[in-house]
Amino acid sequence: MTRPKRSDKKGETRLDRTTALDLYTRMVRIRQFEEKAARLYEQGLLPGFLHSSVGQEAVAVGVCGALRKDDYITSTHRGHGHIIAKGAGLDRMFAELYGRETGFNRGLGGSMHIMDFELGVLGANGIVGAGIPIAAGAGLSIQLRGTDQVAVAFFGDGAINTGAFHEGINLAAIWDLPCVFVCENNLYAESTPQEYVLRIPALTERARGYGIPGELVDGNDLVAVYDAARRAVERARAGKGPTLLECRTYRWYGHYIGDPAVYRPQEEVEYWKARDPIPRFEAWMKEHVGFDDADREAVWQAVAAEVEAAVKFAEESPLTPVEAALDCVYS
Amino acid sequence: MELLRVIDGEGRPLREAPCTDEDARALLERMIFLRAFDERAVALQRQGRIGTYAPYRGMEACQAGAASALSPEDWLLPTYRDHGAAMIHGLPVEEALAYWAGRVESYRAPAEVNVFPPAVPIATQIPHAAGIGWGLRRAGSAAAVLCFFGDGATSEGDFHEGINFAGVFRAPVVFFCQNNGYAISVPFSRQTAAASIAVRAAGYGIAGERVDGNDALAVLDAVRRALQRAREGGGPTLIEALTYRVGPHTTSDDPSRYRDPEEAQRLALGDPLERLRRYLAGRGAWDEADEARAQEAARARVAAAVRAVEAMAPPDPADIFAHVYGAEPLFFQEQRRRFLAELESAARPGAGGPAARGPAPGGAAGGPAVRTEGGGR
Ligand SMILES: Cc1ncc(C[n+]2csc(CCOP(=O)(O)OP(=O)(O)O)c2C)c(N)n1
Ligand SMILES: Cc1ncc(C[n+]2csc(CCOP(=O)(O)OP(=O)(O)O)c2C)c(N)n1
Ligand SMILES: [Mg+2]
Ligand SMILES: [Mg+2]
Repeated sequence: MTRPKRSDKKGETRLDRTTALDLYTRMVRIRQFEEKAARLYEQGLLPGFLHSSVGQEAVAVGVCGALRKDDYITSTHRGHGHIIAKGAGLDRMFAELYGRETGFNRGLGGSMHIMDFELGVLGANGIVGAGIPIAAGAGLSIQLRGTDQVAVAFFGDGAINTGAFHEGINLAAIWDLPCVFVCENNLYAESTPQEYVLRIPALTERARGYGIPGELVDGNDLVAVYDAARRAVERARAGKGPTLLECRTYRWYGHYIGDPAVYRPQEEVEYWKARDPIPRFEAWMKEHVGFDDADREAVWQAVAAEVEAAVKFAEESPLTPVEAALDCVYS
Repeated sequence: MELLRVIDGEGRPLREAPCTDEDARALLERMIFLRAFDERAVALQRQGRIGTYAPYRGMEACQAGAASALSPEDWLLPTYRDHGAAMIHGLPVEEALAYWAGRVESYRAPAEVNVFPPAVPIATQIPHAAGIGWGLRRAGSAAAVLCFFGDGATSEGDFHEGINFAGVFRAPVVFFCQNNGYAISVPFSRQTAAASIAVRAAGYGIAGERVDGNDALAVLDAVRRALQRAREGGGPTLIEALTYRVGPHTTSDDPSRYRDPEEAQRLALGDPLERLRRYLAGRGAWDEADEARAQEAARARVAAAVRAVEAMAPPDPADIFAHVYGAEPLFFQEQRRRFLAELESAARPGAGGPAARGPAPGGAAGGPAVRTEGGGR
């Protein structure tokens, strides 16, 4: 396998302490949101399916950290992390998972379909690969409106062999659309290991086939993701066209909460847990901007309080009535 | 990526030919036949004797060169523009012509001829080819698959899914892209930002090659090697053949509205027949008598097919309902019943059938209802 890029010791990016702490906090918010949601789900309190992104936080935060509020993202069935990293409040996130009126989409979308135009979230998506042409379309709208926004599509390794991937990226490449295509390669699509459906060592091999740059990144290294995303976003903003990023990472839980994940060896899970992106970034901060146990404690406690309040908010919100189920199907 | 050429634009050899002079002569004779068919078909369409037709003029080296590399047990998947290749692989000439005459009973390959029906939806044959190849491999067959498609097809999701699948499962398929510069009016420069189609092969972990598609010997060589690789378990190959669609997209198209008539000259690919002719003449293996004989044989073969198609009984209007459903839903049966009833009432003299309301002359007087425009709905 081709080796992904890691941030070197020198650190290409001069992340200041405030920015670093902000990015760190976003990762912790995702981690705690996902863990809490998993517990609630196991207790049968949340309807539908739940796909956890624990272990993949550095990709969501590294990329969204390089974006402005008015930039767009499209996301996937494993999308909580992207949306939180883009700035979503945990209260409305939980309310959506609970099927409450106060959720981002009145509780009608649920875990896999959260969207919020104000945050530039054009939607999580239950259809594998479907966010890619949507991001290309957003890119086209940016180009036609003449703004300097950027549209990012997050997708899994399972999406890269779908026709939507090919059509969306090819169009963005031909038209030099301001897009960044971010593959979160967590090595599995449900139970299918990647080498079963791919003959190439890295997705970057495909970028040349579209005439665009491609970069392979260690997706558990926040700084490496952030650097690569900044390069790609700058390129897009400057009107130079799209970039394809492959971020290698791993989902700690199974495909969904409750998946026994018998298709993967336990040693593999341990290997990746030892590469947890959060402590790795803590170590980076200690070395470069200063970070100690007290800082850590402060962030984790503040986020825990936010999670607790958010769950309370959701639980106290009214359930969306059954009659509303068909309200948003057609415009 | 390097462009494979065996002969240059003037037919001078650039490298060793992949075949004997005898084989090259046979190849030229096939191309002369294909040209004669194509010219006659365009003329028949202009005379109203067949329907819309998609000419392959200028692409005969791809059609004949690639199909000549096949063994009889190999499978060919053509598009609407590849009936040339289909005829070389054994599709009877009258079957190809009947297709363009709009007949349901057409493009029927005899049992020993492994030619699929032409794909009109762009790129759908690519995943089919992957599936057929995978099936052949699982069955332990020595046969391989040759799948034709155009430059426009490379932007379809089916291209991506089909080729990736064939690569992963080592399906013995040769993906043969005729890059003829256009997808209807869309030039290749608007089809992809990449330098070529062939570079995409790397993204699927398969072999890729670029050939001069107006050089029949180069096409033959590349496809032959790719078929060999496929048979030996080396997996699929993506071949991009650079050629030019000399004619319109179809007989209903006017290319002067979107391209410069001088463009063909600028590309300097040359006429594929003329190039091979000069190559053989230079070797003393082709003269005017050979040419006259080949032309005459080609004309006779085409003329026989025209006679056969025009001698067919007139088509049954109900044919348009044939082969749509395996088990026909009720609404579909009802559509047919109404369609036939309208035809019948329109055909009755003086009857106030739907044709009488139509703008076409003679409708009310009981003219040929089937041909009356605006008659049915
Ligand atoms: C078009 C489509 N096909 C199949 C599915 C079923 N499905 C849901 S998630 C998934 C796997 C996706 O894998 P990947 O893209 O790697 O994302 P990950 O789950 O690893 O984050 C599949 C096949 C679907 N949702 N959509
Ligand atoms: C899925 C689909 N989309 C659109 C069309 C309409 N269409 C017919 S031919 C054609 C162009 C195909 O171009 P190319 O693949 O380069 O083949 P060529 O006609 O040049 O041989 C298009 C778009 C179609 N038949 N199928
Ligand atoms: Mg995956
Ligand atoms: Mg074409």
